[in-house]
Amino acid sequence: MSLLWLRVAVVLYGVAALAVLPAALYGRPRWRHLAVPIALLGAFFHFVSIAETFYAAHRALPVDTHETLSLLGLLLAAAFLILATRYKTVAFGIFLLPVIVLLTLAPAFHPGRETVAYPLVGPVWIFLHVALLLAAYAALLISLLASVLYFVQERSLKSKASSNQSKLRLPPLEVIDQIALKALLFGLPCMTAGLLIGSVLALETTGPAFFADPKVLLSIAMWFAYMLMIFIRQQSGLRGRRAAYLSSLAFIFVLAVWAANQLSAVHRFAAP
Amino acid sequence: MIETPTSHGSLLLIGVNHTTAPIEVRERLAISAARLADATRTLAHQPGIREAMILSTCNRVEFLIDAENAGDVLATHAPSFLPRFVHEYFSVAPSSLEPHLYTFREREAVRHLFRVASSLDSMVVGEPQILGQVKTSWNVAREVGAITSNERIASTLDPLLQRAFSVAKRVRSETQIGSSSVSIASVAVDLARKIFGSLTGKTVLIVGAGKMADLAARHLIQQGATTLLVSNRTEARAQKIADALRTPHITTGVIPLDHLHAEAHRADIIITSTGAGAEAGEHIFTRSQAAHLVQRRRNRPIFFVDIAVPRDVDPTVNKVEGCFVYDIDDLQQVAAQNQASRSKEAEAAETIVSSEVERYHQRRSAAPAVEAIKQLQLSAETLRQQELHRTAARLAAEPFSPAQQAAVDALTKSLTAKLLHPQLTLLRESSNTPKDE
Repeated sequence: MSLLWLRVAVVLYGVAALAVLPAALYGRPRWRHLAVPIALLGAFFHFVSIAETFYAAHRALPVDTHETLSLLGLLLAAAFLILATRYKTVAFGIFLLPVIVLLTLAPAFHPGRETVAYPLVGPVWIFLHVALLLAAYAALLISLLASVLYFVQERSLKSKASSNQSKLRLPPLEVIDQIALKALLFGLPCMTAGLLIGSVLALETTGPAFFADPKVLLSIAMWFAYMLMIFIRQQSGLRGRRAAYLSSLAFIFVLAVWAANQLSAVHRFAAP
Repeated sequence: MIETPTSHGSLLLIGVNHTTAPIEVRERLAISAARLADATRTLAHQPGIREAMILSTCNRVEFLIDAENAGDVLATHAPSFLPRFVHEYFSVAPSSLEPHLYTFREREAVRHLFRVASSLDSMVVGEPQILGQVKTSWNVAREVGAITSNERIASTLDPLLQRAFSVAKRVRSETQIGSSSVSIASVAVDLARKIFGSLTGKTVLIVGAGKMADLAARHLIQQGATTLLVSNRTEARAQKIADALRTPHITTGVIPLDHLHAEAHRADIIITSTGAGAEAGEHIFTRSQAAHLVQRRRNRPIFFVDIAVPRDVDPTVNKVEGCFVYDIDDLQQVAAQNQASRSKEAEAAETIVSSEVERYHQRRSAAPAVEAIKQLQLSAETLRQQELHRTAARLAAEPFSPAQQAAVDALTKSLTAKLLHPQLTLLRESSNTPKDE
């Protein structure tokens, strides 16, 4: 049954992804009123699906890559809904909703069959480790998108006549900048706490050898990149094109950490 | 008992507007807000008028009337009461008005009212003020009793105006007719909003003391800007502007022109209107100065509104990251594009108005039939109840059990419905009334 709910959620996300286009690109309010409730309904079915899966398996953790991706998709859907409600913008949906569809498509139609043996110690801590890191990744993605949208809006305003012919409905520059910064500031404690919890658990189960693992090393590098990005933004008020480059750099670290799952000898969790 | 009209009055809309009358004529007919109630009352007391409303704005003066004597009113081009009213109230010879007057009757009057309320008949199509002005006129007419607001007495103008407000709302929500600005000052405000979002707490710097700059600054202050700085060659003039715009919520200050570059980083929006910089061979704000400003602002954006000719701000400043420069041509171009966009949206709005006029007329023509259907159903139900009571009285010794009572009730209801069905069908067909009305 949980698969059915997930499939319903994927279809709803797909419809919302289509509805958001006329709303954001042509400023049609009716489509906005359609896109947001459909995405909300999608998130609801998505949540039901995940909750049912965990309940049926008597666990509260994603056990394979597909489940992890699905959980990340749900966090991004929540982020989209928060942005739509708080800032009255659906422009983020142009990118976010297709990403959510892609993240949930595989789990819905080709569920993973991996069975991961979690360490016996602290399942709650492992859940926090996974959830906090996924929240940090979602925040970083939002920040990256905001930087790109800032760049687009800045170009649009500088090109003058063409900016007003463009129908793309984006939030004001300062609002986009606030979103980018707030997302980063939200992500930092999530990433720090997630990595700390993971490190303590690793010390208990694997010992100091854990810290020689490429995935772990990359994770530490990712945290430094994240910190550096926030420091530079706060110090110089960096925004626009340069901020987008900086966010992209941090995001490359995230992708590298994710990919390092394949190389890791000790980090056996399916989650990155 | 609700009073219902036995026949409809005659709907008339007579007036002048910016397309039919020059300002010399319109200003003679203009009615101030203070005199509107009295004028409306006077018009409503003219013989043959059932209800009336006056809409008086700077672009139009219109009389919306529900007249009693349809034959008399429709027989002449201008109704007989109008010359008397115009003469009495405005001391204007009716003959001087005749060439500028337009008269709409019934369906066309409804269409015109819907178009006016939806801002399709405005000088600046899509401007939002007109709806508020129509509402004010409606409220005044209700207050003085020129429009019936009593639910027990049938009114023609009250539901018509409420419909007009719904149509205007529909036009606003389903089209983009009012979404873009068409004046230079409001375009500047819109652009500032695209950069800063809310203008609350923002600082505006005026360089030069031109009228246009002053107007743009006032617009920005109205939208929430809280600090105004003025820099001008003549400091006394700068001080005068600063003093004029200072309020308990607005902080103002004067920056001597010599200190302009040292202080300009405090401003989020800089409006220049001197035209003096380029004459002296150099712009007031050059690219390097702008880059320095942005640096001092820690990359926070800065918006230059350059309405001077020749320009005060070097056009290449727009290439500096975080700087946005709009000169007078840019602003005019945006305004023209918005105007064109509004015209396109106006076509969609006209379609909405046409369909709403049709709906209104269908309902209005069906109103007597609906009333007749209600009356017929009410009479039948009264008769049924009376018969049931009479039967119950006759059977007082052996009253019905609850089950029998329910069966008799259902039987009589069914009989009544079947007996009425042919008449109700005929009435509905004759007026095209939907079954649920």
